[in-house]
Amino acid sequence: MLYKTSIEQSLILSGEKDRFKELLRTRLTECGWRDQIQMLCRQIVKERGVQNITADELIGEVTAKGRALVPDAVKKELLQKIKAHFSQDM
Amino acid sequence: MSEHGCIHLSNFKAAKGTQPYKVIYAYFVACTSTEARKRKAFSCYCYICRCLGPRLHSCLHCIFFGCFVSGHIQEHAKSKKHFLAVELTYGMVMCFQCGDYIYDRELTDIANERDAKASKALGLPISYRSWEPSANEIELLRLHPRRRRVIENSTIGLRGLINLGNTCFMNCIVQALTHTPLLRDFFLADKHQCQFRDQPGSCLVCEVSRLFQEFYSGNKAPLILHRLLHMIWTHAHHLAGYEQQDAHEFFIATLNVLHRHCKGSSAHTHSSPEHCNCIIDQIFTGGLQSDVVCQACNGVSTTIDPFWDISLDLATDIPTSSSESNDSGQKSSESSQKSNEQEPTSLIDCLTRFTRPEHLGSSAKIKCSNCQSYQESTKQLTMKKLPVVASFHLKRFKHSSRFHKISTYVAFPEHLDMTPFMSHYRNMNNGHCGNTFNLLPDNRYSLFAVINHLGTLDGGHYTAFIRQQQNHWFKCDDHLITKANIQEVLDSEGYLLFYHKQFLEYE
Repeated sequence: MLYKTSIEQSLILSGEKDRFKELLRTRLTECGWRDQIQMLCRQIVKERGVQNITADELIGEVTAKGRALVPDAVKKELLQKIKAHFSQDM
Repeated sequence: MSEHGCIHLSNFKAAKGTQPYKVIYAYFVACTSTEARKRKAFSCYCYICRCLGPRLHSCLHCIFFGCFVSGHIQEHAKSKKHFLAVELTYGMVMCFQCGDYIYDRELTDIANERDAKASKALGLPISYRSWEPSANEIELLRLHPRRRRVIENSTIGLRGLINLGNTCFMNCIVQALTHTPLLRDFFLADKHQCQFRDQPGSCLVCEVSRLFQEFYSGNKAPLILHRLLHMIWTHAHHLAGYEQQDAHEFFIATLNVLHRHCKGSSAHTHSSPEHCNCIIDQIFTGGLQSDVVCQACNGVSTTIDPFWDISLDLATDIPTSSSESNDSGQKSSESSQKSNEQEPTSLIDCLTRFTRPEHLGSSAKIKCSNCQSYQESTKQLTMKKLPVVASFHLKRFKHSSRFHKISTYVAFPEHLDMTPFMSHYRNMNNGHCGNTFNLLPDNRYSLFAVINHLGTLDGGHYTAFIRQQQNHWFKCDDHLITKANIQEVLDSEGYLLFYHKQFLEYE
């Protein structure tokens, strides 16, 4: 737990966490994941009605599906980039 | 989810302003300074369970961080009656009295401005933001309630073009232009502002804009391009008449006239093509870097020229390859260089040859700006800036002693990565390696149009393959449009190849 925290802190300090996030965001937009999730959310909101759903409930409904929809290539690229970052740093 | 904030947030803003939100956002959501990053790294964790997230919230009333997933921020809100909290990943405000996140125009504007600053501080491009209609656009949508939905196998945008007597050279280029994704988006969004309002009917851009409306109107009858042809005749005299013309020449002439008409009459006063920001330049203009290295002192003189397309040699006995707008660099070649190499068999071959260093020979000595003497030198062309649409012209028509056509098959890919032909890439290979974090730029392209020439030089015919809706291909032969597949396209004898950049960066 402590180790995980210090890794996370070093990533925040260097700004690298924001870079990784931006990379992930770009890839998810490129591959259409963002649009898929948007469609999914829109469908759920339409079914229930805007007034009868909270952001938290929506997150609860799409999270599992959203995770499953992330392409393996995106996960692989990010993992490889993070690994490369740390092997270069230490 | 409330659209217009809530009474609790309004009351809070009335009492304390937006400063608390600004501070939290600048330090814990989007950091712009090292100081802020330090604070975020070391003092931003759940005060109850010490975790760093996920979904960590900061109390908007006091200094308290709590995670949402384990309910610690909720406990704090309840016990202290601090009902507003900021979510620290996206900076959304949660109102525990309303039980949901709240949209607030003023806070959203602060967040957007901060995000842009933070990206800039890290040298990252501006991140994607989904489109939101402006007040004007909302009004237009309200006034025109009819919507057309483009379904998977829709044929919208496909229209045949009547041949007006040897005008297939024009038809095929019009097919390629009307299926250029970014150009289509520009015209269908009605973005063109005419510079010739006092002379109706004289602006070629307006005519092209009208053509886009015709193409995407849903009507399937073939179109007659007599107005376009007439305008080209009046603006590009060398193409006037009923003879056969070269499609490539027509393409360049059309871009030229469109570019001129975009700028309007003001263009005649200051003629610097590099500082133009018209749609033609935004889509088609790239920058070609030419490095001339003096063989005596190794001094490099670099020039960058704009280009609209790359002309590539197919024959081996002329090692020169010059781009359209770069005629200044016509190289006289040494005969020693010819026989020991193979004819290029693919687009990649051609591009590799185009961008390799080339010895200019003893008959073409150039005055070196470094050592001030006439010396032999080498010259290398590389891509400094890539256009959104990369157009390649395979020089199949050769005019040496007599005109003839080179009909060899040249392979070209559906997806093309231009990275190996970039200036910075070549420089990197010469010296040290670049950084490992290569998020951008992305130089991948995909094919969207191919123009073919059938027959011989004096009796030929042009047809075009165009891509419609991601991955459907069609063959356009004047008024006839037939379904094609990618393999037919790739097997064809390409003359002009059009590639579109896959990912566009935000500016």
